[in-house]
Amino acid sequence: MLNRMSAGSRWRTRPDGRGKVTGELAYLTDMAADGELIGLVLRSVHPFARIKRIDTAAAKAVPGVRAVLTHADVPGLNRFGIVVRDQPVLCEDVVRYIGDAVAAVAAETEAAAREALRLIEVDYEVYETIASPEAALKPDCRKLHPDGNVLKRIRYGKGDARSAFDRCVCIAEETYRTSRQMHTYMETEGGLFVPGPDGRLTVFSPTQHGRKDREQLADILGIPEERIRVLSSPIGGSFGGKDELNVQPYGALLACRTGRPVRIHNSRTESVRAGIKRHPMTIRMKTGIDAKGRILAHQVSVLADTGAYATLGGEVLTNALENSLGCYVYENIEIEGVSAFTNNGVSGEFRGFGANQAVFALEGQMDRLAELSGIDPWQLRRINLRQMNDPGAYGQMIVPTDGARQVWEAAGASPLKREEAERPGAGAPAAPWLKIGYGSAVAMMGTGLGKGIPDPGGCRLSLAPDGKLEVAFSYEEFGQGLLASLELMLIERFGLFEGDFRMVIGDTDRVPESGSSTAARTTTMMWLALGRLMPEFKARLAEAASRMTGRRAEALSLGRGGILDEGGALVVPYAALAAAEQANGRTIECVTSASFPESPNGDFANRFLFVQAGTTVKVEVNELTGRVRLLDQYHAVAGGPVANPQGYLGQIEGASGMALGFALTEDAAMKDGRYLFHNLDSYLIPTIVDQSKSMTVEAIEDVPEGDPYGPRGIGEIGSVTLAPAIAQAIWNATGVRIARLPVDPAELQKRPYYLQEAVPTR
Amino acid sequence: MIDNTWTERTAGARLECEVNGRPVSLDVAPSARLLTVLREELGLTGTKRSCEIGRCGACMVMVDGKPINSCLTMAYQVSGSRITTIEGLASEAELHPVQQCFLEEGGYQCGYCTPGMIVSVTAMLEHNPNPTMEEIEEAMSGNLCRCTGYGGILRSIARAIETGGQSNDCR
Repeated sequence: MLNRMSAGSRWRTRPDGRGKVTGELAYLTDMAADGELIGLVLRSVHPFARIKRIDTAAAKAVPGVRAVLTHADVPGLNRFGIVVRDQPVLCEDVVRYIGDAVAAVAAETEAAAREALRLIEVDYEVYETIASPEAALKPDCRKLHPDGNVLKRIRYGKGDARSAFDRCVCIAEETYRTSRQMHTYMETEGGLFVPGPDGRLTVFSPTQHGRKDREQLADILGIPEERIRVLSSPIGGSFGGKDELNVQPYGALLACRTGRPVRIHNSRTESVRAGIKRHPMTIRMKTGIDAKGRILAHQVSVLADTGAYATLGGEVLTNALENSLGCYVYENIEIEGVSAFTNNGVSGEFRGFGANQAVFALEGQMDRLAELSGIDPWQLRRINLRQMNDPGAYGQMIVPTDGARQVWEAAGASPLKREEAERPGAGAPAAPWLKIGYGSAVAMMGTGLGKGIPDPGGCRLSLAPDGKLEVAFSYEEFGQGLLASLELMLIERFGLFEGDFRMVIGDTDRVPESGSSTAARTTTMMWLALGRLMPEFKARLAEAASRMTGRRAEALSLGRGGILDEGGALVVPYAALAAAEQANGRTIECVTSASFPESPNGDFANRFLFVQAGTTVKVEVNELTGRVRLLDQYHAVAGGPVANPQGYLGQIEGASGMALGFALTEDAAMKDGRYLFHNLDSYLIPTIVDQSKSMTVEAIEDVPEGDPYGPRGIGEIGSVTLAPAIAQAIWNATGVRIARLPVDPAELQKRPYYLQEAVPTR
Repeated sequence: MIDNTWTERTAGARLECEVNGRPVSLDVAPSARLLTVLREELGLTGTKRSCEIGRCGACMVMVDGKPINSCLTMAYQVSGSRITTIEGLASEAELHPVQQCFLEEGGYQCGYCTPGMIVSVTAMLEHNPNPTMEEIEEAMSGNLCRCTGYGGILRSIARAIETGGQSNDCR
């Protein structure tokens, strides 16, 4: 079991901890500058409309207003998007969702800025809202983009699934639906945008990839990237939600126009309205097994609501389809997916990246097939589980992994699974309307961006002028514990000493291109990049010390505080070495531009390096209220060596919490393209009450012999298995099959037991 | 348009209170919220802004020892009160024991909810040093955390209770 005691001395205080518990750590939305202006954005009031006229004259006349910008004021490219630049910074002719930006204002006070927003006149010709992907795909539907309403369509097949169904003894068919989940990072979007006297713009704004923001902002502003510096950590939560640009274009444009610092900090209501969400998906599956329980045919059809703009919708669909096959082997496969544009906000990157939806459906199929065939659901999974050297879902070569079997065995042997087997007696309900149930699920999820997508992982090691060993990556700290993992890695794996090194992230002026902090990729990339670079760096330091002291470089090594001789005595402190190098006009700097490892084959951005999770839960269903309580949960996670025990535990716990909301309460509901909620009073994320019960995390660290990839990223896998495990537990408790998330309490409500006894059913 | 007469009329309202042990005397508008005064006027940005409707607890401070959402509190309402923000918990020399427990147990990730969380725990333990789980749930249900799943927070609370919330050594 992973906890503080089992972690021993590896349980460390995070380097960013003190500032967080004292409140001293300044987040980028806590910053202020002398002479700052307040920035606000005017957003569309219609989900879909043509802009006929924008009049800003009255707004500009408000005392204290320093700039009112529209599309005509964007000097460069009036578009953004991580992969496809299709989202207008400021809409010129059409608005496609109710968060679409039409104008931006900077004023001396927030009151003046609000007054200016109120006075901007926009005439719209309202179009009929495209409120569902089904509507969007009708041939006569109005096009949201020049190429139509399909962002991406994927098809993949193996064998002949259709005819294979004839040979199946049991076939399960179901349509699963999942909701539009909101990231709900506690820090809403914002930042400070400061134009410098040298003509450079400094951006203090949270993002998962500062260098990508810089690239996009340079194109929008029409200036070279070098004239922008992006400082992007620390971040008050992201979960994928801040990877895409949000307020940065407006802050940057307003600051450049006014020559004054501009501060923007979204209200929660603004964040709800403008921010991206998880893709709602409708997933149809038809799966058939033979008499022994082996899957002969598996048909999948995914329809995703990607909202108004692309962002990472295409990539989410790709990953959803890969996960619709999970950790099982199939004789025949036929899968297809469509991601359709609608006027329903914007869907994009969110922890799990499409796997959450797909695994809920796939594991639901296994449960239904188990019931049909009479095979135990856990055994049915085992019958179909992939083996260590099996290829990936698309037939691509992947890093050998026995994780699926490992987590299946661990979860199967968990106390909770034993308790399930030993019923009745254990955990008898306190009242007749309270029903106890157990459920389990397994999943396997890729890390990294996938085959064919640029996935850089550069690193720079240098001896800083002050004598610190500087380790620089373009990663960001949004709470996941990146700095803590890096620190522990530098100490344990690479033999550096606390106090001798400095970690540099989140500043485009100081970091190489390491790609985005996303897709559970950073831990592996840090491990690989440092492994490649550290020997060279250490050799360079020893050579420099050799030049300085006349001793043989081979006899020198890195130690605490400086370079040591063979006897372990300090020969040159790092500070002295740095001073000597500087005096001689030299620098010691090593750079690598490694990439995340990818499969040698495959055509679907398929993954190469995988992690697995097996989860068992115990729930209580209240048949009077229809409410489900999570009473206990066990997670076995196969992610290779644990890079950082506290972070690992926290990631699985946190991801499970997020998945609990996904399963039971969270739905960013929309009607006709408008959100039906505006804040956290009616969008319900789990509270401490929902998660105060027992939870156990088991980390399975064994990897096949000779595996060079080190610790895998486990930031996402914890979010995919809980919902299907809860769905199975609800069935186990009540006999009700769940096919739609979040679980609707009405589906679980029964006539009160005393009425059942007293009143005959008609 | 901005109503200048209104602006003039509201200027000069004086707030006298104590913040983190220091007397504070400020001109504040009658419409000013405590959250805004703390963050914008006093630079105490440890108190966070998140939902602004009293649901998430990121802006929690103690007013005369009671935890309150500063986003729902008008500045004038704290006239004559003793206010403690997250910045007022640690002494010069050491962290408050609750802070120390959060630090060591990893009761935080992004850290944005943490100040409010620690303020609520501190207020709870000052009022009730040995709360049951039900009492903890009651006291902490107004503080939302999106990162931790509350696991680390519950361990931090358990440790703080164990050590009596008084000792500065949580080990």
